[in-house]
Amino acid sequence: MDTFMETKIDYRQRIESLAQTKLEFNRKKITRMGYHDTDDHGDIPWDEPIPFKKISNHPDGGSYGARCIGENFRHWLDVHPVYIHPQSALAGCLVGVIPGFKESRWKPEDRPTHLYPLHEKYHFINTGIGAMNHMGPDMKIGLDLGWGGLLRKIRHYREYNHPVDTSFYDAEENLVLGIQDWIRRHVIKARQLADQESDPLIRQNYLDIAEINEYLVDGAPRTLREACQFLAWFQSVDRMWFLGGALGQLDELLRPYYEADTAAGILTDDQVLWYIASLFFNDTHYSQIGGQAPDGHDLTSKMSFLILEAAHLVKVPSNLAIRFHEGLNPALLRQALIYNLQDGTGPSISCSKGLDEGYIRNGVPIQLARMRAKVGCNWTALPGIEYCHQDVTRQCLIAPFLIAFYELVDDPTAPRTMDELWRRYEYHLGISVDVLKEGFDIHMTKHADNMIEIVLNLFSHGPIERGLDMVAGGVDIYLLTSDGLGLATVADSLAAIEQRVVQEKKLTWEELAEILRNDYEGAEAVRLMLRNIPRFGTGGTRADYWAKRVSDLYVRLVRSTPTPKGFTIIPGLFSHGSILKYGEKLGATPNGRHAKAAISHSANPDPGFMPDGSGALTAKSTAVALVQPGWGNSAPLQLDVDPHLLKESGGLEALESLIRTHNQMGGTLINLNIISKEKILEAHKDPAKYPDLMVRVTGYSAYFYSLSPEYRQQIVDRLLA
Amino acid sequence: MNLQGELKGLVFNIQRFSIHDGPGIRTTVFFQGCNLHCFWCHNPESNPLEPVVQYYPAKCILCYRCVELCEHHAHDSIDGMHWYNREQCTVCGRCVEECYARALVIAAKPMATSEVFDEVMKDRLYYEDSGGGVTFSGGEPLLQIEFLVELLKKHQEAGVHTAVDTAGNVPWEWLDAILPFTNLILYDVKCVDDAKHRQVTGVSNRIILKNLENLSNRSIPVWVRIPVIPGVNDNPEDMQQIASCLTGNRAIQQVELLPFHHLGSGKFESLGKEYPSKGLKPPSDEQLKSLAQVVESFGLPVHRKT
Repeated sequence: MDTFMETKIDYRQRIESLAQTKLEFNRKKITRMGYHDTDDHGDIPWDEPIPFKKISNHPDGGSYGARCIGENFRHWLDVHPVYIHPQSALAGCLVGVIPGFKESRWKPEDRPTHLYPLHEKYHFINTGIGAMNHMGPDMKIGLDLGWGGLLRKIRHYREYNHPVDTSFYDAEENLVLGIQDWIRRHVIKARQLADQESDPLIRQNYLDIAEINEYLVDGAPRTLREACQFLAWFQSVDRMWFLGGALGQLDELLRPYYEADTAAGILTDDQVLWYIASLFFNDTHYSQIGGQAPDGHDLTSKMSFLILEAAHLVKVPSNLAIRFHEGLNPALLRQALIYNLQDGTGPSISCSKGLDEGYIRNGVPIQLARMRAKVGCNWTALPGIEYCHQDVTRQCLIAPFLIAFYELVDDPTAPRTMDELWRRYEYHLGISVDVLKEGFDIHMTKHADNMIEIVLNLFSHGPIERGLDMVAGGVDIYLLTSDGLGLATVADSLAAIEQRVVQEKKLTWEELAEILRNDYEGAEAVRLMLRNIPRFGTGGTRADYWAKRVSDLYVRLVRSTPTPKGFTIIPGLFSHGSILKYGEKLGATPNGRHAKAAISHSANPDPGFMPDGSGALTAKSTAVALVQPGWGNSAPLQLDVDPHLLKESGGLEALESLIRTHNQMGGTLINLNIISKEKILEAHKDPAKYPDLMVRVTGYSAYFYSLSPEYRQQIVDRLLA
Repeated sequence: MNLQGELKGLVFNIQRFSIHDGPGIRTTVFFQGCNLHCFWCHNPESNPLEPVVQYYPAKCILCYRCVELCEHHAHDSIDGMHWYNREQCTVCGRCVEECYARALVIAAKPMATSEVFDEVMKDRLYYEDSGGGVTFSGGEPLLQIEFLVELLKKHQEAGVHTAVDTAGNVPWEWLDAILPFTNLILYDVKCVDDAKHRQVTGVSNRIILKNLENLSNRSIPVWVRIPVIPGVNDNPEDMQQIASCLTGNRAIQQVELLPFHHLGSGKFESLGKEYPSKGLKPPSDEQLKSLAQVVESFGLPVHRKT
């Protein structure tokens, strides 16, 4: 484009246009599909039917194994719509997951049906068995090779390895061919749109998009815009496959292109903001800025600030994280908090001390630990070298507790003591953890026969070279993950029994059991009596003691032995936003919680835990630091702060200090909302009044408007406490 | 913990993550009892020197446990409603102990110095990082002078920055007694006109202003806090009078304007009292800015919002 035309472009206005389109899409999606109780994905509403017919290779109608998966992916890409926003720097948007490939499924003969009764008993909803796409890619592989280079790599190693069964390579080849064809259709579309466009600036944008993508069908990115376009294609394709979501250390991926383009005089910072905003408009994959290089130096660069600013300008739930460490450029954190104060939410803060010092205990050098990037709602992963299977396995800490409690009460010979309750809890939680471990072994053995990580294989070191899926030897590091949930519910329940039943003898074990079985009916005074004890989070109470003890127990059970086949598991404490889903099938608990009500959130104390009903930020921070599992996976701190608290001079400094101290205490992740109680209550009552209000539900953010009332309640409760 | 023989005081709240009561992240310990009676006070339960019962009818679940327990007939059940008769109440606290709905509350409780210290020290790491510490406020903390001195000494020995928030209406000797153990004084000044001061606080400001003047000759820094109250001092003339009084005081490092607010209005009802500030409109940001400029024109730095 000529210089004159360049000066006419208002990039900020283009970004604003993308923000408005995103809101409009969100409204349409809610109208058509209802609430969306998860993170915002880049999918756009699409009116026309898409002629996809799933290709099956099994009598049960399923599609299993590499070859069939490759065929289905190719078919989906061949029929997937083409979309180009006139004000975006990048082409392409996702319409949806490949139909039939949102929930992972195995062949019936491979399913571990013998474990189902135990899954039911111990309340496993997310078992990790068959779960997909929760590792971190190394996008540098793609940026260095381009789609053409990836295709040549696949063909080279298929020939070099000469496998008897070529289905793995055929599938990967099919995927890349499908992507290339999809890109070509965008090139054609972009030229068609240019022909029809009367606005010369938009016309030129379409022509630029056509030119860039014509090159990128085969070529590796040369410029920042091409690099962003490559990442946008990846994001859309990755989402098609079981929702995906992990991107990488975005500032470092893009910094070389930014520096080269700037030095060549072909790039302005406003253009950069537009490219990044366009990338976020395309999709909200998880990425990290800041953090450390393997040798420890701070990675903050100009690119980090531009990414932060772009997220602020485009106002989509961008799922960005700042990797905080003691040497982080303080201006980056300060700017993030300023945006957070303005926007209500912003990047999450991934804490290096807890993450790195924990991870190296698994026998990994600190240099590698530093390379883990936050690429999921709660989790970090090494890029392209680790099968970590994060965030897909949840261990309910509450179900074994209730089983132990009722078992004790129903056994007339059992001593009615805390020691006995604890012994039984340890026993049942131990069985639950063994069930988890057995499930992992089955997953690791059977998964590649059923499903493959067809997208992430391309961006990992090893799968293409070896002809092996990530799960089946394609990468080098296997450290699996399990997240405990319901910690505060159990801790407060144990403390309530100890104080009210054992010490004060306000009621007997049997009376408590009866009241719980009746879900506190006619016993509101008892429910409140159990609820109003010194609770986890206050500090120095029996509930804090029990919280630490439960966390330590869970960690010990997970870590004491590997799985029977020798896989190591790293424990975390995380519920995602699923506290209602997990609570729905659980009975009443002795902490005053009704049956079917939401359980506690991740590692946080329950809202209203302090004696005056509030919850000081330092108390929450200390409580969550206390229960960190300590092996390098996250137990996040949810902080929901009223902006009035911070608007005084010194407010942001106090928040920075809190973050530094939480990190210093071994914290792993901080998720922050800064919204007033008045606003959240208004928005809860009438979400359409605030269509652009974003909240950090947990490690991911979403439009408040798109969440169901029940799901929104957890955020409201946290803020009101 | 053996609390026998330890000095105890009456405390009605301990608030962690206080960022408006001195530098950095702090814990504020609120002492029961005050010898001013400012009508705009948002902690009216803290005013008497002894505990009081607060009753929140909206929280009552009609379990009538208080009716069963009360030996003084201060609680009754009439036509399915719970009635609390404050005149009959001796504040023995039996009903409060078993009101799990927290409809009946006694905010003030006796605490030993070690109990207060342990609570404050929970946030020690945050003080160290932020340059924060502990602030003793209230009520009027100097009314429990021995308890306050003991606490100040204990915290200072432990390396914690100490601040005291006072209205200054106490004998100078009491203020003097705390200075060796205090790193910062937060000093409340309402107005210079003594007649007005008596009208709105119930007491003269003579001792208050004299004590502030005395502090000028001591080395402890002072932050002056001016509550901006509609109809009382929310005008340039009152600000000028206050500012002229403060100019030249070498101890004063900064001045803060604290806008009136309605938080705490519900507490009056819980004490069986009328809310005296009904209808008062909190000052706007523009008004506060304008009043701050008046103070600044006297060469006094004013602490501002970001």
